[in-house]
Amino acid sequence: MDEYPAGSLDQSIPLLLTLGVSASSAPHGTELSAALKEQAVLVRSDLEPLDTEDALALLRYIQKRDASQLPCNGHDIGRRYRFRVRTAERSLLLPPRRARLPDGVEAPPTPAVLHSPFSPLSPVSLLYPDGFIDTQWLQKHQDIVPSVLLCFYTLVSDPALATLCDNQIKTDVNNIKALLSQSGYKSRLAVVLLSDRGAHSLDSVQERLETLRKVCGIDPKALFFVPPNESPDELERIGENMLTTLYGVAIEYYRDLGRHARKKRGRGVAPHPTVPPTSGTSQILSLVGWNVRYDFKSAIFAEYRLEMDIALRSFEQAYEGLLSSELLELIPSWSPRWNDARFLADVIAVRCLRCLLWNAQYSAAARRWQSHRDRVADFVERRGRGTSNYGWKAWEARWATVMANLIERARLPEFLPSNYKVYLQPEKSVMGERLQPWEYLHHTGYWYRIAAKHLSGRRAFAHSIPEDDRRPPSSSPASRVASKAFTYDTYMCPGPHEEYPLDSEGVVDHSHMIVESLMRARAEFLKRHQVRLAAELSLECAEELAVSKDWQSIVELLRPLWKDMTFRTEGWLTVAEDLSWMLRAAAARTSKAELVIAMDWELLNRSFTRRNNWHYDISRALDSISLDSKPQVHIEDGQTLSFVSASFLFRNDEGKAGQSTNGQLAITSNAHPGSAPITLSNIQVDFTGSLSHIILRHEEKVDAKTQQKRGNVVLSRVSLRTVVGEENGNQPSGLEEDLSKSVTLQGAANLTLAPGQTIVFDVQVPLREPGETRAVSLTLNYQSETFGLEQYLSFQRTDSAKLWYLSAASTTRISRDNPLSIHVLPRPPQMEIVGLTWSEQYYTDEPIALEFEIINEEEVDAPAKLDVTLLGEDAPVFTTEVPSQENEASSSVAGSDESKVSGVSLGSIESSKSLSIYVRVPAIKRSSRFDLTLKVVYYLSTDPGTPITQTSIFQLNVVNPFEANYDLLPRIHPDPWPSLFDPEGVRDLTGADDTTNLIPRGLSQTWCLVTRYASFASEDLCVTDVDIRAQTSQTVTCTSTRKVPALDKAEGGGHIVKPKTIEDAAFDIVAQKSTLDDRSPATLDVSFVIKWTRLNHSSPSALPNITTLPVPRFTLFGIEPRVLASVSHLRLKEAESAGGSKSLGRRNRLLVVLRVVIENASNHFLTFGLTMEPSDEFAFSGPKQTTVHLLPVSRRAVTYRLLPLRETGDDGPNKSVGSWIRPGLVVRDKYFQKVLRVIPTEGMKLDKEGGVLVWVPPEEEEVEEDSQEEETEEEEEESDDDDDEDDDDE
Amino acid sequence: MATAIPSIACLGVIGRNNNPLHISILPSYDPSTNAFAPVRTPLQFSLLLSSTLDVFELRARHNAANNIGLTGDYGLLHAVDERLASYGFETNTGVKFVVIVDMRGRRIDGSVAAGMVDAARRGAAAVGLREGEMKPVFKAMQTAYIKLLQNPFFDPDEHSPPSGTGGKKITSKKFADDIRRIGENWTPGVTAL
Repeated sequence: MDEYPAGSLDQSIPLLLTLGVSASSAPHGTELSAALKEQAVLVRSDLEPLDTEDALALLRYIQKRDASQLPCNGHDIGRRYRFRVRTAERSLLLPPRRARLPDGVEAPPTPAVLHSPFSPLSPVSLLYPDGFIDTQWLQKHQDIVPSVLLCFYTLVSDPALATLCDNQIKTDVNNIKALLSQSGYKSRLAVVLLSDRGAHSLDSVQERLETLRKVCGIDPKALFFVPPNESPDELERIGENMLTTLYGVAIEYYRDLGRHARKKRGRGVAPHPTVPPTSGTSQILSLVGWNVRYDFKSAIFAEYRLEMDIALRSFEQAYEGLLSSELLELIPSWSPRWNDARFLADVIAVRCLRCLLWNAQYSAAARRWQSHRDRVADFVERRGRGTSNYGWKAWEARWATVMANLIERARLPEFLPSNYKVYLQPEKSVMGERLQPWEYLHHTGYWYRIAAKHLSGRRAFAHSIPEDDRRPPSSSPASRVASKAFTYDTYMCPGPHEEYPLDSEGVVDHSHMIVESLMRARAEFLKRHQVRLAAELSLECAEELAVSKDWQSIVELLRPLWKDMTFRTEGWLTVAEDLSWMLRAAAARTSKAELVIAMDWELLNRSFTRRNNWHYDISRALDSISLDSKPQVHIEDGQTLSFVSASFLFRNDEGKAGQSTNGQLAITSNAHPGSAPITLSNIQVDFTGSLSHIILRHEEKVDAKTQQKRGNVVLSRVSLRTVVGEENGNQPSGLEEDLSKSVTLQGAANLTLAPGQTIVFDVQVPLREPGETRAVSLTLNYQSETFGLEQYLSFQRTDSAKLWYLSAASTTRISRDNPLSIHVLPRPPQMEIVGLTWSEQYYTDEPIALEFEIINEEEVDAPAKLDVTLLGEDAPVFTTEVPSQENEASSSVAGSDESKVSGVSLGSIESSKSLSIYVRVPAIKRSSRFDLTLKVVYYLSTDPGTPITQTSIFQLNVVNPFEANYDLLPRIHPDPWPSLFDPEGVRDLTGADDTTNLIPRGLSQTWCLVTRYASFASEDLCVTDVDIRAQTSQTVTCTSTRKVPALDKAEGGGHIVKPKTIEDAAFDIVAQKSTLDDRSPATLDVSFVIKWTRLNHSSPSALPNITTLPVPRFTLFGIEPRVLASVSHLRLKEAESAGGSKSLGRRNRLLVVLRVVIENASNHFLTFGLTMEPSDEFAFSGPKQTTVHLLPVSRRAVTYRLLPLRETGDDGPNKSVGSWIRPGLVVRDKYFQKVLRVIPTEGMKLDKEGGVLVWVPPEEEEVEEDSQEEETEEEEEESDDDDDEDDDDE
Repeated sequence: MATAIPSIACLGVIGRNNNPLHISILPSYDPSTNAFAPVRTPLQFSLLLSSTLDVFELRARHNAANNIGLTGDYGLLHAVDERLASYGFETNTGVKFVVIVDMRGRRIDGSVAAGMVDAARRGAAAVGLREGEMKPVFKAMQTAYIKLLQNPFFDPDEHSPPSGTGGKKITSKKFADDIRRIGENWTPGVTAL
């Protein structure tokens, strides 16, 4: 757009001219040519220009609202007016309405009809006689003739001066009005009156304003008053209102002008020029030409009014007229009017495009752009000099640039970079049509790019200009000059001698123009994140710069691209390659050694196409560059497309610390075949985890045994030696990382890598610490005489990296997921913990001593420490003894459910020696289960840094060894009861306080406690003693005696109890109440005590363990009367001697004495009836029926003698076994008529109906049967008790 | 009178990692030499194809921002100039098909065109392209690609590794033939290929 004459393409905006305020701007009217200036009308104000603050502020505001830089689009910008603002201080120059006749022209006979100097009718005009219209006319309206002339005056408040000043204003305004009307222009006049600082009443002002208006004849809408002392905001408001009002006036002005133009067009006659042309063809502008002119004018005026539709229509009309067969077709291409017409066509087309953009008809705009290009091309082809020359290409480039500028100027909101729009959707009216893709309006980047392409074309054409034409016209023959004029299209571009001069630098710097266009396009693409397209443009740019040999710029442009190029990572190798070669050339010429090296390194990759005349030898990279220092280049992984690829594998996925594992490093070269082999100076593999580095150095001569070669694979077995990091000084430069604390493995191998070759290094990697060790990266280091290069490669977990070379010829695939890493297990502990005396079960009430042996199976001495933890509910405090440490015992610290001893020093345990320790747990009361954990933490004296842990867990089961149940059986106390009526039984009142020493005088009862205990242990136990322990209370005195002497069989050694067997023990208990008066029931609290030892216990001297079992509580001394029966046997021998012949032959018969004792412990007098029924089982003597009276607290006994009747000649068993007889004895309470139950004692039992059975022993063995008897009796005991209770109820 | 009509100048298949999988370059008619020749060099076509990736990314971002569903057809990506325009399609596995159309790639003789039954349509076809004009091409390309995927020896991961960088090109001759056939057979208004 800039190439077109100033003002020719600018948008038309109403011009507002201010007069009367000092402003620092150029005086008005300077644009006029000298000739016109001479004839110009000077409009001038006689009053001093204002310089008050208000006036200046107002003017500043008006200037600020200048619309010439507003975006040219139809979107609402929140403003109701658009003005282009110019200022004049005192005067303005208006061009004359009528041009004078030029001096040399003879005046026509009739009075000459004079026309505007801008019209083709006036001989002074450049258009005379057959031009259309030119920029001057546009400029006249845009810059010189205002639509509104805004005059500033001060309204003086001083009453003394007011009238005078008002009059001055009146005179001045009238004067200006007169001058304006004299000039012939219809510019509207508007007046602003600013109050001075003095305050005055508004009424008088109103009156004065009215007077002024009337006298001067000013439109009331065009007179403005600014009250005094307004705030800036208020001033702005006034300014805003004023401009809005004036805009209407200005629109009216342009409407008048437009109407005038249309009127002239409507005349339909071509006007005649002031003087008929005499020179040239004497041709005057045709009617069609005039119509174009008028249409153009009215379009421009419509544009002023922002009536874009009307403007567009008029422009199109003008355009069609201009390009019609009657106008442009008729103009010969050699005529200057040809170029004028082309120019006018361009101007109209640009203005059309602007109208379309304004109306948001984006596709129409793109189409319009194309159609103008096509029509002009058509014309140029047919009528002009063709399109195959630089002039046409220059125009095409310009045409594209103009479009870009227009879109830029329009600042379409859809195209804001933040919208990331590449192109705009077409407007609705063309949506369904078949659109060319280009008819979607693309953003300016694309347009600039097209411009650049056409500029390249222009240069190509320019370069094909023959030498003869490139000479300056002065030095070439005239014929040549003439022919040039016909050959070259010089519309808006220089002639061939300037376009591409023969000798010197041209006026036209094609490269510069192309690069400029490309860079503009690139900026647009970058704004919209079209990075790849931007990169492409950079590449084009670089090509252009290479032509002009601006290598430095190329490096600057391409280096960032090359560094992180998406083309490389995404695999667009052809592009990457192109870029690389370009950059390499530039870098070599600008001595960017690092860049050259890095690029030569990358270009060795076979993926790029091979250049035939290239050496492909990295050592020669810097051949053409001379440098002072030796550059060192570091290339990161992925930064370039490295031709070297590498993988590392661990043979196994697990290893143990202290052992070593196999690893393989494979390096493959993918260089161009035929390129020079590369000898690396060293390589370094980095690991995570405990392993730090493996460094392999180059060594030319390698033992042939360690190296196998087959095809392209070289397999070397490299032995590594461990170097602790002090040898840093020997590290080659570039590898000097912080190795001080780590351990490095070093080896030597042949590191020559020929193209296509794979070199494999098999290494033994010692593993040190447990954890995950992973191969991370490889650093290749290449050193030549001129430079050093370091390539960093990180290992990838790809499938191809899983090949393990068994030999150079054969491989196997490692199927692990991640062969890059190895899991290092901790060093296995070689320390054993053995429980020496360990048994399945331990028993309650038994102190537990546990012995452990710790055996060191390591090869060296191991200082060790011991932690012991007892875990379980209510873990007891225990002690740990280490005999070798002078019997030092450590007690544990008991927590809530664990008890722990930690850090017991065991001293140094020698290799293959052992150490005994003891853990002593005190007797535990309850059966429970504990976990005993022994942890030995030790380290080897050779490797003090690595702690090794061995842990053993033992389960400690503590169970109750015994369980027991109990029976309490009643017996008859042999002693007589104390009598209530016995005076000796009366307590001595004097000693009433001293109850402790009192001899008990109360009732006594005898009981037999039968206990049956069973061993629940898993082994035989030795019970040394059993006992009961009675709790004496204040009221009852208890004495107990052991009745069954079974335990005494094994004296001293005790009684061996087998598991799950039941043992009996019986105890006699005699209880006596302390006084006779106390007849309440009493309870019996006893516990059963078993003293026992383990049979296999190593120390017999140890105290027996005492297990106490609680006995359930029994009730003694009921107040109900009870009937106790007891038996004794008499040998009938005596009876035989006493008896007659009846019992002859039955010598051994027994006589059973049944003694029935009725006890009355109550305070009542009771009467019982006793009945003994006869039976055929026995014969008896004693009362068959009797009555027994019992005094309170007394007992009486009734004795029966029974003779069991046994069948003679009966079977043996009956005699030898013995039998039970059932005496039908009934004791009845006479008063309550209730039968009392007879309670059996020794040698008796109850049958199912509650009757008493009496044991008749066999003839000679009655005594031994007792225990058995009692055993059977036991079952009946419970029912017996129940019956007792029944009795109580009654 | 001869009329220029659009033809396909280049067909590109681009992998998930934005890596070129396949590029078919088809010749266009050159009126100056009266012969068929590609309008650009392979390098330029590579650049053209890679530049469409920018637009794919912009569109994807725009679609994601505006919550527009995943439509595979991106339609017109951009027009590089008046002659060449790129159309794009993305499968839901991220493989992109790009068609570069040469708007003046073929020339039909006016008399021939006039003789054709649907001359009017032909004339209209010469002007431009409708919105869905490329659908049959994409459909055919997708069919060809699916056929390729059905080959058990074709490993898609090899061509677009999950690691996200690079990938091998497609070497299947059959696929290349298919694509070339699609490119050659397409003319505006064709509904099935």
